[in-house]
Amino acid sequence: MYLTSYLALAAILFCIGLYGVLSKRNAVMLLFSVELMLNAVNLNLVAFSRLGLFPNIDGQIFTFFTITVAAAEAAVGLAILISLYRKKETAEADQYNSLKG
Amino acid sequence: MNAEFFAFSILSVFAIGGAVFFLNSVRVMHMAISLAFTFFSLAGIYFLLQAEFLAVVQVLIYAGGISILMIFGIMLTKPEEGSPGRSFQYHQWISLATIISFFVIIMVIIYQSPIFTPAEKVSSPSVQQIGSILFKQYAIPFELASILLLVALIGAIVLARKEQK
Amino acid sequence: MTGLAWAVPLLPLLAFVVQLLLRTKGTKKLVSFIGVGLTFLSFVFAVYLIAQSFIWNHNIPTWQINWLHIGSKVVTVGASFAPLQVLMLFIVSFVSCLVQIYSIGYMKADERSNTFFAYLSLFTFSMLGLVIAPNFLELYFFWELVGVCSFLLVGFYFYKESAKQAAKKAFIVTRIGDVGLFIAICLLFWKVGSFDFSIIQEAVKTNQISAGMITLIAILIFAGAAGKSGQFPLHTWLPDAMEGPTPVSALIHAATMVAAGVFLVAETFWLFEASSTALTVVSYIGAFTALFAALIALTQTDIKRVLAYSTVSQLGYMMLGLGSLGLTAGLFHLFTHAFFKALLFLVVGAVIVAFSNEQDIRKMGGLGKEQKWLGITFLIGGLSISGIPPFSGFFSKDEIFAAVYQSGKYDLFAAALLTAFCTAFYIFRLYFLVFTGRGAVGQTKTFSWYYQVPIWVLAVFPVISGFVQFPKPILGQWLKSSESGTLWWIALLAAFVALLGIFLAYAVYQKQWISASSLMKYSGFGYRLSYRKFYVDECYQALFVWSLKGLGWVLMGWDRFIIGGIARFIKSLPYELGTIGSYVQNGQVQRYLLISVFGFLLLLLTITAGRLIF
Repeated sequence: MYLTSYLALAAILFCIGLYGVLSKRNAVMLLFSVELMLNAVNLNLVAFSRLGLFPNIDGQIFTFFTITVAAAEAAVGLAILISLYRKKETAEADQYNSLKG
Repeated sequence: MNAEFFAFSILSVFAIGGAVFFLNSVRVMHMAISLAFTFFSLAGIYFLLQAEFLAVVQVLIYAGGISILMIFGIMLTKPEEGSPGRSFQYHQWISLATIISFFVIIMVIIYQSPIFTPAEKVSSPSVQQIGSILFKQYAIPFELASILLLVALIGAIVLARKEQK
Repeated sequence: MTGLAWAVPLLPLLAFVVQLLLRTKGTKKLVSFIGVGLTFLSFVFAVYLIAQSFIWNHNIPTWQINWLHIGSKVVTVGASFAPLQVLMLFIVSFVSCLVQIYSIGYMKADERSNTFFAYLSLFTFSMLGLVIAPNFLELYFFWELVGVCSFLLVGFYFYKESAKQAAKKAFIVTRIGDVGLFIAICLLFWKVGSFDFSIIQEAVKTNQISAGMITLIAILIFAGAAGKSGQFPLHTWLPDAMEGPTPVSALIHAATMVAAGVFLVAETFWLFEASSTALTVVSYIGAFTALFAALIALTQTDIKRVLAYSTVSQLGYMMLGLGSLGLTAGLFHLFTHAFFKALLFLVVGAVIVAFSNEQDIRKMGGLGKEQKWLGITFLIGGLSISGIPPFSGFFSKDEIFAAVYQSGKYDLFAAALLTAFCTAFYIFRLYFLVFTGRGAVGQTKTFSWYYQVPIWVLAVFPVISGFVQFPKPILGQWLKSSESGTLWWIALLAAFVALLGIFLAYAVYQKQWISASSLMKYSGFGYRLSYRKFYVDECYQALFVWSLKGLGWVLMGWDRFIIGGIARFIKSLPYELGTIGSYVQNGQVQRYLLISVFGFLLLLLTITAGRLIF
C-alpha cells in the first residue's frame, strides 16, 4: 500500500468534516465535525510515520498529543455550548450572532 | 491485490460511509453510532499502519469517550428545528462549492506528488518504545498535556455549572 | 419752489410705501385715494413746472449731488428739467393720475386692489424718475424699475397661466434690448469716463469718440429703446402684455413706459445726430414696425390686441419721425399718442366691462346706442389716431410725414402713408364692429364717475392738444429744435388717406357693400399671415426656444448621465463595498470560517499554481 491512499482517505474525511463545520446548524454537530477533521489529521501523521520518506516514531507521539488536546477541546467545547444554550435557549449555530459588531 | 489493500478498502469505505451518515442522519442515535463507526474504522486503519497502541487509544478515547460526550451534548440541547434562512442556504451552497474546490486541489497535489517507498522498513514500534520516548524525550510536552487536561476539566466544570444568581 | 422740483417723483414713492404698509390693513378706498392724491400732487407740481418753463421761460435748475468716487471719476445722481423732461413729467403724472382714478372703478371687485395701487404708485415713481434722470446710470436704474413694474402688473392675475407666461415674456424680451443699452452705457463710460448726458454730449461734439464707436453705441441704445418700445423684432411681448388689467395697458403699455424707448432716443438724440447710419437704422426699423404692426392689427379679433398692435405701430411712427431727424415730430406724436391711446384703452376697458369681460370683437356690437358717451369718446380717439383734422393725431402725424418727406426717403414716406391707411381702417373696424350694428345684449350698465371723469378729461386732449403746434410751432420752439414747418399737400394727402381707410371700414363693416368674409377669402394667404402675426412668435419658438431647449437637453443629459453617472458610481462604490462587507459581518461563526477557508483556498492556489498547471 502506498502513502497516497492514506492521504486521500484523510483528505476525504477532512473535507467531510469541514463541510459539517461550515454548513451544519446544530452546534453539537459542529463540535464533532471538528473531531472528524482532527482524526483525518491524525491519520496523516500516522501514515507519514509509517510510510513517509523518513519513517519515524515521532509521528505516533504527535498523534498521541493531538488526541489528548482533542479530548480536552471536546470537553471544554461542550461546556461552552451548554452555557451558551442556557443563555440563548437554542443550539443552532446561526442564531449565535453576537460576534457582530 | 493483497490482504492489506482489501482491508484498507473495506475500512476506508466504512470510515467515509460513517462520516457521511453522521452528517446526513436525522436522528441522534444514528449520528452517534455512525460517528463511532468512523472512529472504529480509523482505529482499524491504525492497525494496518502497525500503530497498535494508537489504535487502542483511538478506540478508548474517540469511540468510547467522545461518542458518549456527543450523545450527552445532543441530549442536553434541543435538536435543530425549522428550515434554515435564505442567506444560510446560500451559505451552505457556497460552502459546498468552496470545499469541493479545496478537495480537488488537495487531491491533485496528493496524486501529483512523486510516489516513493520508504528507504528502510522500520519494524513497528512497541508500546515499550513509545513509553520510553514519551517519558524521556517528550517528558515536558507530556506534563504540559496533563496540565492541559486538568485545566480543561476544571474549565468544563466552571463553564457548564449553573450560574448562581 | 422750482428748487424742490427733484421731489416730484418722491410723492408717488411715498404713496407706494404707505400703500405697502396699508396693504392688508387699509380699506380699498383709503389706499386708492392715497395713490390718487399724491399722484395728483405730483401732477400739480408738474403743471407748475411746465408753467415755469413753458409760459414764463424760466430755467429750472438741475439738481445734482456726488454719489460715488471711483478713483478720479465721480458718479452723480440728480435731476434735470430741460423742456423735454418737464413735458414727460406732465404726461406721465397726468395720465397716471387719471388712470388711477379709473382704476378705483375698474378694480373695485378685485380683492388684491391694494397691491395693484401700490404697484401703480411704484410705477409712477419709476417713470417720473426715469424721465428726469440726468445720467445714464440713474436712467438705467429707473429703466429696469419700470420693467419690473411692468412685469408685476402684467402678471397681476398670476393665477392665470397666460398672464404668467405674458409677464415672463415681457420681462425677458425687454431684457434682450436692455443688454444692448447696458453695453452702450459701459462703452460710453469706458470712452468718456462719465455717465452724465451733458458731459457725454460735450465729448461727442468735440469728436472724442470715433465715428464707428458712436454708431455702435447709438445702435445699442436703440436696441434698448426697441425692447422697451416694442420695435421689431422685439415687439412680441407688447401684445401679450395685454393680459394685465386694462388700466395697466392704458398707463404702461400705451401711454408711458413704452414711450420710454422713444424718450430715450430723443434724450440722446445728439448721439444719433452724430451718426447717419444709426439714424437710418432707427427710421427703417420704425417704418417697418409701423407698417408691420398695422397690418397685423387689421385682422386681430381681440379688442385689446388690436390696440396693442396699434400702439406698436404708433411707436414705430415715433421712431420713424426721430430717425428722419424730426425730433419735435417724434415727441409731438408721443405727446398726442399718450392721450388718445390712453383714452382708447380706457374706453375699451369700459367696453369690456360693458360686455362682461368679453374681448372678442366678433361677439360685440351695438354698444353705441346703449352707451352713447363711450361711442363718442372712442370716436374722438379713433379720429385722432387716424389723423383727421382737427384732432391732435392729424397734426403730429403730419409733422412726421413732413420730416420723412424732407429726409428724402420716399420709400419710408410711402410706408408711412400706407400705415396711416391701415390705421384708419383697423380703428374704424373696431368702431363699427363694437359700437354700431346689432347689439349682442342690452348693455344697460351704468358707469360710475370713476369711469366717466378720466375718459372725458382724456377725451378733451385729442381735441385741443394738436394746437400746441398749430398754427404756430410752440412746442417745437420750446423744445429748442429747429425744423421747418409742414407742407400743405402732405397734410391734405394724409387726411385723404385716412378718410379712405375710414370709408373702406365703413363700406365693409357698416354698409357691408363688400363682405368681410369675401375680403378675407380674396386676400387668402395674406390674411392668414396677418392673423398669425406674420409667424414671428413661431419663428422665435423654432429659432431660439427649441434650439436652446435642445442644447439644454443635451447639456442636461451630459450632466445627468455622464457627470451624474460618475458621481453616482463614486458614491455607490463604497456603499456597495460596505454592503458586501456587512453581508459578511453577520456575526455567525460559520460565515467567518467560510471566509477564512476561502482565503486559505486562495493561498493554496497561489502557492501550488505552478504544480497545478504543469
